Amino acid sequence: MKPEILPPLSATMHVRPTGWRFGVKLWLPLFLLWLLLLPILILALPFLFVAAVIFRIKLWRSLKAANGVLAATRGSEVEVDNRGARIFFKLH
Amino acid sequence: MNDNRRQILDMLAEGKITAEEAERLIAALERGDVPAARPPGNFKYLRVLVDANDPLDGPTKVNVRVPMQLLRAGVKLTGVIPDRAREQVNEAMRKEGIPFDINKLTPDNLEDMIEQLRDLTVDVDNASAKVRVFCE
Repeated sequence: MKPEILPPLSATMHVRPTGWRFGVKLWLPLFLLWLLLLPILILALPFLFVAAVIFRIKLWRSLKAANGVLAATRGSEVEVDNRGARIFFKLH
Repeated sequence: MNDNRRQILDMLAEGKITAEEAERLIAALERGDVPAARPPGNFKYLRVLVDANDPLDGPTKVNVRVPMQLLRAGVKLTGVIPDRAREQVNEAMRKEGIPFDINKLTPDNLEDMIEQLRDLTVDVDNASAKVRVFCE
């Protein structure tokens, strides 16, 4: 599977409160979240299929597009630095 | 052969741009309206920098990097919006005074739009905050 079609598999977060010599670095395994959500998605598929028929939505195309949006968030970064703390978050 | 032309041909050879894009770039180069040979679609991210000075929170810096791919994926997502909902979106936009047709938002148009973003830099500078938006 191409990496660019996978949703972000992990995230890193660095938090350093002002005055602290060292910050806290967190590695968040997002792939576990997707693994947990996968059975829910499978269970919801029949309902999604019915909803897609009612609202005339192409289900496969919609799921693919939604996954595309998730996958496209890889590489996003947010950094906030104020007098309270410095926070950095990145999706991998 | 000058460097700009060679760079365009190299990009064409590497498959980074199509023959049509190369032709357009060379034509623009000959007209002299390409200031520098910056390859199309070279930038990958939209960067938003905010440098604010809030009276309560004090000086705050925000640095956000959004992948351009997210913009493309978002446009693909609009492709699955049902026709009825599209009309409602267009109607709501018209009511707000924005003559926007969501049906015209296609991946091809988006590439043109992204191409136009290459030279776009938004700078907002006032007493409490400085905001800068650009592509990189």
